[in-house]
Amino acid sequence: MKTRIRLFALVSLAIAISVVGLSCAPKKEVAKAMEPRSINVLLWDDPYPKALAEMLPEFTKATNITVNIEMLQPPQVLTKTAVSVTDTATDYDVVGIDEGNVPVFASLLLPFDQWAKGTVYPKTDPASITPKMYSIGTWNGVQLGVPINGNLYVWMTRKDLIENPTYRSQFKAKHGYDLGVPKTFKELLEMGTFFYENDIAAGFGPFNGGPAGVLSEAVFMWESFGTKFIDYTGGTFKVVLDEGKAVEGMEFYKKLMAISPKGAETMAHVERQAAFAADPKGVFSMFIWPAQIAAYEDPAKSLVAGKIAYSAPPAGPRGQAAVTGAWAIAIPKASKNKEAAAEFVYWWSSKAIADRLVQANTIPARTESLTDPAYASSKPQLAALAESMKVAASRPRFKEIGQVQDVVKKYWVQGITGAMPAKDAIQMIVKETNDILKKAGY
Amino acid sequence: MTSSRRPATSPAGRVAARGTGGRGSPVPFLLPALLIVFAVLIFPIVFSFVVSMFDWPLSAGGGARVFVGVDNYKALVRDLEFWNSLKLQLGFIFIAIPLEILLGLAAALLLNREFQGGKVVRALILLPVFFLPVVSGMTWRFMLQPRYGALNNFLLALGAPEITWLGHPTFAYAAVIVQDIWRMWPFVFMLLYAGLAGIPTDVLEAAEIDGATFWKRLLRVILPLMYPTILTALLLRIIDALRIFSEVYVMTEGGPGMATTLFSLYTHRQAFGYMKVGMSSAMAIFLLVISIAFAVTLVRKNMSLERLEDQGGSR
Repeated sequence: MKTRIRLFALVSLAIAISVVGLSCAPKKEVAKAMEPRSINVLLWDDPYPKALAEMLPEFTKATNITVNIEMLQPPQVLTKTAVSVTDTATDYDVVGIDEGNVPVFASLLLPFDQWAKGTVYPKTDPASITPKMYSIGTWNGVQLGVPINGNLYVWMTRKDLIENPTYRSQFKAKHGYDLGVPKTFKELLEMGTFFYENDIAAGFGPFNGGPAGVLSEAVFMWESFGTKFIDYTGGTFKVVLDEGKAVEGMEFYKKLMAISPKGAETMAHVERQAAFAADPKGVFSMFIWPAQIAAYEDPAKSLVAGKIAYSAPPAGPRGQAAVTGAWAIAIPKASKNKEAAAEFVYWWSSKAIADRLVQANTIPARTESLTDPAYASSKPQLAALAESMKVAASRPRFKEIGQVQDVVKKYWVQGITGAMPAKDAIQMIVKETNDILKKAGY
Repeated sequence: MTSSRRPATSPAGRVAARGTGGRGSPVPFLLPALLIVFAVLIFPIVFSFVVSMFDWPLSAGGGARVFVGVDNYKALVRDLEFWNSLKLQLGFIFIAIPLEILLGLAAALLLNREFQGGKVVRALILLPVFFLPVVSGMTWRFMLQPRYGALNNFLLALGAPEITWLGHPTFAYAAVIVQDIWRMWPFVFMLLYAGLAGIPTDVLEAAEIDGATFWKRLLRVILPLMYPTILTALLLRIIDALRIFSEVYVMTEGGPGMATTLFSLYTHRQAFGYMKVGMSSAMAIFLLVISIAFAVTLVRKNMSLERLEDQGGSR
């Protein structure tokens, strides 16, 4: 009897241990996931990632994952990614990739469908991303990163200038229509010239800083004048630039340069911000990457905070075009912390964080946050962004884009400054881009 | 006490072939130094040369690379931008360095005397050399800014029109050169001042007693005696100028257009803009060859002067 009792007790104990053990197993997984970990993240330096960085303690508290963010200027992000991320090792577990460079690093990035599911935050639903932005994270049909900001051309116009009664009456007397947010290139030029010639403000703020910036402006002009630059047709990339329309676009930009602040030939973001927001005269109208709006609306840094009207870009002779300049967040294949990295991206792209980023005057790529009526009145740029999304246009994307950007920069700057006839500049862009494409085997 | 000590060098300047009288080879003693030289000097050069023979896209993350032999060099020779960057780089050297030598020499002649506050003046002159190149580039970029830059404000006060210094190809190139002259002429001054101070005063006094004017003393006594120092300054500056990068990068990023894309900037662009490490390495090797050509020419010239001096000839 005693033997049976012992046997019964042993079996019961074994069953109990097994049951307890099995019931504990998932908890162990969670416990493992909650172990302290840290990830290195490489991002671009602007108000958007800075706003995110302030929220990081909450993420660390919820997940026990410490996030070390390194923010650099976009060209340095490219350089650092190139030398720090390889197919076998990486210094970063998460990298921000400028949309134009997604094809460049495609072979080093973990496809999104292989990202681990989140332990604390659910995996990002691609459907939650604004459709126009979704494609920037993909290459050859494979999603490689999560598009994280809804960055594309939004137009800024100085409200204090267009609402000034004196300027309004003077302008109407000369041109026969009211001052306002320019809806067409003709209006932009006429209004800009009015402010420039009367020494009230510069008429326009061009963007000529760096090859990527110059390509943005060139594509903006060309699309507005009805021509694409490079297209993927018949399984290859081809220059499809219409010479006549491209020359028209360049000539028009040349006119805008004439009403721009001094130094327009080399104006990058820093100079544009200084001209628009820190110069007492300022600039009448120009595009802005929405990711930078926070700096323009900060009364401590900007003389025009609260005085800016946002809209979609004015229309050229063939329509509107808003160039995209978004970033995708990707995980290198070589990362040793893929799960933690994915968790971080899921947190970042969640609705709760996106809402707070909107409140911080930045622009996440999440549709429901961008279109939330709750923010419509306090964040007028969101309506403008929605309008711009309808006419979004992307710069060409392929591995040799760096060389093409340099060619465009070289001849575009010569064309818009009069150092070379516009027609010659366009012909050189077409010729040298064709050479690059041919050499690359397209 | 007898001594087995022998001169380490023969009169002709050659190292004694068999050490200092001890037995055994000196190689074990030299080995650590040789290994360090190999690791930090020879290996990177050999590695760069090997890489220059490959089509190696940096974006492949160290993966796919294809041996292409001398194709990268052939492609460079056909690349107009390569020649343009080389032209800009050599132009930069041939304009900036002679001016730095002239300024340095003039200042050295002027300050090679004792006067009240002389030491302070000489020390203050050296300040720009201690500026980090990046800081120097940024400072000049802001100084030349057309709206709020110091230079334009000064010119505007004089009634001159606003000038877009860094927006005009010629002005931007000139600005890059002026920036370098501003930063590096004190370095040349420092070398030439030391050379000038080393000239025996009795030679100068003898020339003065013989009735030589300042210009005669300068051309016939001072400059010939300073020739090796000038050559050394020239060599150091040329090698340094061939590597100029960060100050130009922050000042103009190579623009407007490609107007200030010097050789070093184009090399960087090949690597990190176009992701072509092979091409970039080929450019680096090309730069190395140019540097060696300059160095060999100047060192041989210097050595021939020394030989001439040993033989009692005049310069």
